[in-house]
Amino acid sequence: MSPHSDYELLGARGLRVELGGRRILDDVSLRIGAGERVAIVGPNGAGKTTLLRALSGAVPITAGDAILCTEPLRGLPRATIAKSIAVVGADLSLPFATRSDELVALGRLPYGSGRVGPTDDDRARAAAALNRVNASHLAARDVRTLSAGERQLVLIALGLAQETPILALDEPTVHLDLRHRIAIVDLLVDLSAHDERTIVAIFHELDLVRDAFPRAILVAEGRIVADGAPSEVLNAERVAAAWGIDVARARRLGAA
Amino acid sequence: MSAPLLASHRRRRVGALAALLATLLVLASIVAIGIGSVSIAPGDVLGILGRAIFGPEFVPATPSGGAGATTIVLELRAPRILAALLVGAALAVAGAAFQSLLRNPLADPYVLGTSSGAALGAALAITLPFGGVAWELGGVQLAAFIGALLAVALVWWIAGVGSGDERIAGVLLVGYAVASLLAAALSVAMLASGANLRSIFAFLLGGLDGASWPRVLAAAAPILFATIALAARGRPLAAFLLGDEGALHLGIDVRRERGIAIALASLATAAAVALAGLVGFVGLVVPHLVRLAVGPDPRAVLPLSALGGALLLLLADSAARTVGLPVGVITALIGAPLLLTLLRRARAGYAL
Repeated sequence: MSPHSDYELLGARGLRVELGGRRILDDVSLRIGAGERVAIVGPNGAGKTTLLRALSGAVPITAGDAILCTEPLRGLPRATIAKSIAVVGADLSLPFATRSDELVALGRLPYGSGRVGPTDDDRARAAAALNRVNASHLAARDVRTLSAGERQLVLIALGLAQETPILALDEPTVHLDLRHRIAIVDLLVDLSAHDERTIVAIFHELDLVRDAFPRAILVAEGRIVADGAPSEVLNAERVAAAWGIDVARARRLGAA
Repeated sequence: MSAPLLASHRRRRVGALAALLATLLVLASIVAIGIGSVSIAPGDVLGILGRAIFGPEFVPATPSGGAGATTIVLELRAPRILAALLVGAALAVAGAAFQSLLRNPLADPYVLGTSSGAALGAALAITLPFGGVAWELGGVQLAAFIGALLAVALVWWIAGVGSGDERIAGVLLVGYAVASLLAAALSVAMLASGANLRSIFAFLLGGLDGASWPRVLAAAAPILFATIALAARGRPLAAFLLGDEGALHLGIDVRRERGIAIALASLATAAAVALAGLVGFVGLVVPHLVRLAVGPDPRAVLPLSALGGALLLLLADSAARTVGLPVGVITALIGAPLLLTLLRRARAGYAL
């Protein structure tokens, strides 16, 4: 847990989120500094996705505060939020045939973009984003015909085209095989190391988190249970308690 | 898999395609005005229109058809041609907007119950006493317009479009339910209509026979306003390609933009339906044809659909006048095979 800077890019103070009368998150506090690479882990239904949505202004905050680039999120206009944090969804189903480069160019919409379509500048930046994730060869392909791994790369490129300091990802490795999972994780490591992007990503693969992330936040039942180095956060006792499995099993499955 | 349909330079085609469609629109309009029981040469049509618009001193040549030709062009055919252009543009742009907004390739302008509401409104106006007078004065059109807007307002209210973070599937289902309910009421009205059944049936088929200057001008204001306003809102609608959540993360005020788009598309549809009855397939097929050419970005699809819809309905109405069928029948005859061709193309890369 060593932020490259004290500049608080993303944070929460006593954050509570209630949706449809149900309390999804409660008393969540965290600080994420510029350049950090943070994994959010926890069982299904723990509130991980809601946490990302709350930090990016996609759900109303019931109590407490979310912080984006040192400012309270509540007062920020949508357009400003969209230039600060890009959120990459787990998957995307498109209603119409859409080329990868057309999709990635939509990431330029927060900046105004063109009247009858993406400008030349938008296209250049979209091409650069595709190139950054090593997916230039997919530019002319219909996104709907891509494999899950290819599509995830294109979705990350869409997030990169938004040119935000923070890149948040909701289960970027879900449904992917080992090779593609590693490719995604290596890409995230590279983006934080070389592009100074702050990465916050939800993962279910605890081994990948230990392998590639300096910091993990364990969320269970709407609260942060542990926050720190994965070796400490993901010890067998905590994993067993959070996921409701027995300690010996957790240890056999690779928890520390 | 990346079919030739997804050709690499299609985005560059937007300007060229717009210019082509606009040129075709002008040429087709001039030719179409000349077609009919009295044929008028395109040169004479231009002369008559020129004199009417710029005054006789600017276009001195006398058309060969004389005063009769002038009356036919200005009083009978020009309003009808204009009506076809307006209705086609309105339906296609509304269809494109609903497809993008609802992320549903099968959405058409009538998806939120506009058609059923308009049909019921028209049927009531026709069936009620003094129905004949109402028809003459445009009361049926007004009733159809109000019926369409009331149907959408009902869907809007039940689905809670203006409030909460409701899901769009809810809007579609509510639209379907409201449309079914109104269709049932329409059936009752038709059963009770007696001798007026034929008039109601004509409205359901869709046609531009009733297009006169007052009606066209009355419909032109809402149609032009809504069509231009929608065509200019391509940017937020482009974000909706990524879904509500995705649009939100691109900085779009999802609730507001959805409300604006639904209101504008419904206004365009209601005015179009009031003028022309239920003309099908234009709003469904034209946006897909445009996407085949330029891709799915609504910033290009909306304005090009307006032009394409205007052209398609003009051609369909010219065919309808020639063979004596309602234009709604012609659009279905053209539209259904077009749609089937598109569906077959699914295997070649353009999947609906």
